[in-house]
Amino acid sequence: MPPIAQYVFNGVVTGGILALPAVAFSLLWRLLRFPNFAVSTYLTVGAYVALVLNHGVRASIEMAWLSALVVTGAVALGVDRIAFRPMRSRRPFSLAIASIGVAFILENVVRFVWGNDFRSYDVPVSRAMSVAGLRIGREQLLILGVAVGVMALAQAFLLRTRLGIAMRATADNALLAAAKGVPTERVIAAATLGGGALAGGAGVFLGLDASIDPLMGGGLIISVFAAAILGGIGSAPGALAGALIVGIVEEVGMLVVPPTYKTAIGFVIILAVLLVRPTGLAGART
Amino acid sequence: MIAYLTAIATLVGVRALVTLGLNVQWGMAGLVNLGAVAFFAVGAYTSALLAVGGTPLLFAWPAAVGLAAAAGAGLAMVALRLREDYLAIVTLGFGEVLRLFLLNEAWLTRGANGVTAIPRPLHAQFTGHYDVFYLVLVLATVAVVYLALERVRRSPFGRLLRAIREDEIVAAVAGKPVFRCKVQAFALGAGVAGIAGILFAHYLAYVEPNMFLPQESLFVWLALILGGSGNNRGALLGSVVLLGLLEGSRFAKDLIPFLTGVRLAAAQQILVGVVLVVLMIRRPEGLLPEKPGAS
Amino acid sequence: MTTMTRRQLLQASGTAGLVLSAPALLSAQSKEPIPIGTLCPLTGAGGSYGPDMQRSVVAVVERINNAGGINGRPLQLFHEDDQTNAEAGVRAARKLIDVNRVVAIVATWASAVTLAVKPLCVEARVFVIGVSGADSVTQGDHKGFIARTQPNTNLQGRMYGKFAASKKEWKRVAYMALQTPFAQSFGEAFTGVVKAAGATITDSLIYEDKKPSYRSEVTRVLATNPDLIMIEGYTPDSVVMAKDLYRAAYKGAVLAPSFAINAKFIEGVGAEVAEGVWNMDRAPLFDSPAFKEFSAAVPGGDQSPYAPQAWDQMTLVALALAAGKGEVSGTVIKDHLRTVSNPPGTAVYSFAEGTKLIREGKKINYEGASGSCDFDQIGDILSAPFIVQQVRKGKNERVTIVNP
Repeated sequence: MPPIAQYVFNGVVTGGILALPAVAFSLLWRLLRFPNFAVSTYLTVGAYVALVLNHGVRASIEMAWLSALVVTGAVALGVDRIAFRPMRSRRPFSLAIASIGVAFILENVVRFVWGNDFRSYDVPVSRAMSVAGLRIGREQLLILGVAVGVMALAQAFLLRTRLGIAMRATADNALLAAAKGVPTERVIAAATLGGGALAGGAGVFLGLDASIDPLMGGGLIISVFAAAILGGIGSAPGALAGALIVGIVEEVGMLVVPPTYKTAIGFVIILAVLLVRPTGLAGART
Repeated sequence: MIAYLTAIATLVGVRALVTLGLNVQWGMAGLVNLGAVAFFAVGAYTSALLAVGGTPLLFAWPAAVGLAAAAGAGLAMVALRLREDYLAIVTLGFGEVLRLFLLNEAWLTRGANGVTAIPRPLHAQFTGHYDVFYLVLVLATVAVVYLALERVRRSPFGRLLRAIREDEIVAAVAGKPVFRCKVQAFALGAGVAGIAGILFAHYLAYVEPNMFLPQESLFVWLALILGGSGNNRGALLGSVVLLGLLEGSRFAKDLIPFLTGVRLAAAQQILVGVVLVVLMIRRPEGLLPEKPGAS
Repeated sequence: MTTMTRRQLLQASGTAGLVLSAPALLSAQSKEPIPIGTLCPLTGAGGSYGPDMQRSVVAVVERINNAGGINGRPLQLFHEDDQTNAEAGVRAARKLIDVNRVVAIVATWASAVTLAVKPLCVEARVFVIGVSGADSVTQGDHKGFIARTQPNTNLQGRMYGKFAASKKEWKRVAYMALQTPFAQSFGEAFTGVVKAAGATITDSLIYEDKKPSYRSEVTRVLATNPDLIMIEGYTPDSVVMAKDLYRAAYKGAVLAPSFAINAKFIEGVGAEVAEGVWNMDRAPLFDSPAFKEFSAAVPGGDQSPYAPQAWDQMTLVALALAAGKGEVSGTVIKDHLRTVSNPPGTAVYSFAEGTKLIREGKKINYEGASGSCDFDQIGDILSAPFIVQQVRKGKNERVTIVNP
């Protein structure tokens, strides 16, 4: 197999990790009408929650992951109650700035409690399997599988369940939906809970793949932002596609450009795409 | 204490200039620029490299401003066709790409080492009280730029920008050169940020790529929003308040004996975050809300 | 308030870094505290290194003050976080210099910060000593107000190269470095020595900081079939890199700096992944009384690459002040630094030992926890032997010494 396939696969895995927060970011943006920068710190929170359980009570990484989903969802809900609910009717930029403040706070609360040292889970690193000339790691397959599975669940939720449909209605036109009796606050609460959980789960994956420190989420925010925009804000499959593309482009780009320009490649490509198709891949935002 | 306050005031002045530049783009023309730091960096680096290479400041400085404005115009022509959210990410990306360029192309920019021993203007003349001289220079520049931008705001161009910001489609239908005006406004804002960069580089006598991280662009936004976006006085006030907050928390921490080290630093930053959130909830229009109409 | 109570209070507040009272409130001139500043990265990219450095300095000052201070005057510490950011560092330094009136700033870390505060300190005649590695730190006209306890990059590169070249089985060598001000110069020195010894440099790559994975960088380097990969980075990125190398089933050798391959690294990647990783660094004097005293005073400090240096930096500043016979200023420190740290002289391993001999009028030569601390004219540490270790069964074991 030519080496480029390995780069593509590497990119797919990176994209898989980006996909969860990208979906959360994208859907919340559509629903609440502002880019929520705190999403990247939900990643960090989730990773640390799992760390506490994994190290503290010797929970298995699976249990720790599930707990991270629940706790991060709750944290996101709390943040929404305290910081964003008083500002529902405000202009998006005020909310965006407030979300930056929240991100600051969350990152530093983590730093306050655990310090700057990076940590790792009690999970052994495994050698990759060699499949058709490609190096494929067990953990990476797991991450990809979970990401795709969660994506499918999210899409099914949005399309089939009442709450999901209500969510989409509110995202399309909040006033109209409210007039028709859709419980807006409940919809927002559900979306926030779900979005927080997604990001928290992704944080655990990131911690497994790399390591855990207070800055871990912040490093991804630009890629997450880019993936969401590329996929078209408000579309879960779009965000997944966007994340995969960002991941692949960053990795494959290494063949052409020095590794120190990795982040830059992503931006350039995205700029090019947006010039051609401004609404993004699955863009539906009016 | 005086020397410390002089230094802080100088840095506040530099930040105020960048914020004024951002206000031209956002406050006057309604353009989202999350990469303000990029034009700041272009101004700083161009002037630094030229000056260190022997170019007299009289030529280096205008060249630096010109290059910053040109970069702004270039980016605007490419990116202004996009919608607001997209413009945001593109400008943010531009800031990052520029920083990586500064970091990696060491043959031109000295890379991660940065540019040291940047000559300071008129240093020989004012050796005793150079910091005071520099503060006066910065404050004078802020005053001149502020007055100039107020003129622009009241001028036909300024009114046109306001019209475009309120309703672009109406303005276009009325036959106004919308796109060209936006590019000009963006370039003007970029040039002002470039001026700030020049003053910054020659003050510290040292520049390196990590001084221009994306979060610096966010700080400029914060200053603008805090002070009251859409007006130049707000831009100045916001810069003072923001840096005051950052430096104030430095002294506040000295009064908290039971926290040390990382905890203290984290607490300092939590304080900044809390103030931000509270301010957004309680007073989102900023300290000096924009007055309707020209005044 | 009696003088005794005030001094005890000052000693206590010295460790907490409190600004209890401005110098104006102290009436006893000869008991006035000596202000010293620390400027460490407590947040930002260098955040995992700052806290231990600050702790070391605090421990030294505690000991000195408990024993009566310097010529009867206690030391008072003022701590600032530089946020691993040059502009924030400048603001912090200005506060330390103009408000707290420190005579020295110790334990700086990032080269960018040290370079940015250098001109201010030289102008204000405040002595700066840190661990920053970029070559330009000690260059230029700094009039002796700057020094560092970390060997300069070129020397480091050559020493690593010498070791790599000494192992004949490493014929194909790849170099990977984190993007820092010294990646380039270290790489040139390292690859130069390796090539001169007849080995091939198969790839040379600089990677970005703060990336969650380095899979593709690893793919690229492994495609060139190296026997040895030299990774010049810090612990956080080395952890990620090591994991990615392991996952990619790399079976060759890895060489890295010991400040990256420490207990935190081993804990982070696990014993299996860390097995066999070679690492080297300027040899701390493990057997020296200074290192022993440091290890006892700073729990966990021996796991930090920079904490021993911070310990030495503070001790050196204190000894230089003690040699100043009553006068206290940055100029005094710079004038007496080499007097107390360089040979000839009686070897001393702590402030207590050194100050006793200074009072007797003897010439001392401080040998520190991080090394023998001998400085050249521009403030660089004189060449020193390097210790080579290898991780075996989850622990770093000393294997050999490389001499310059």
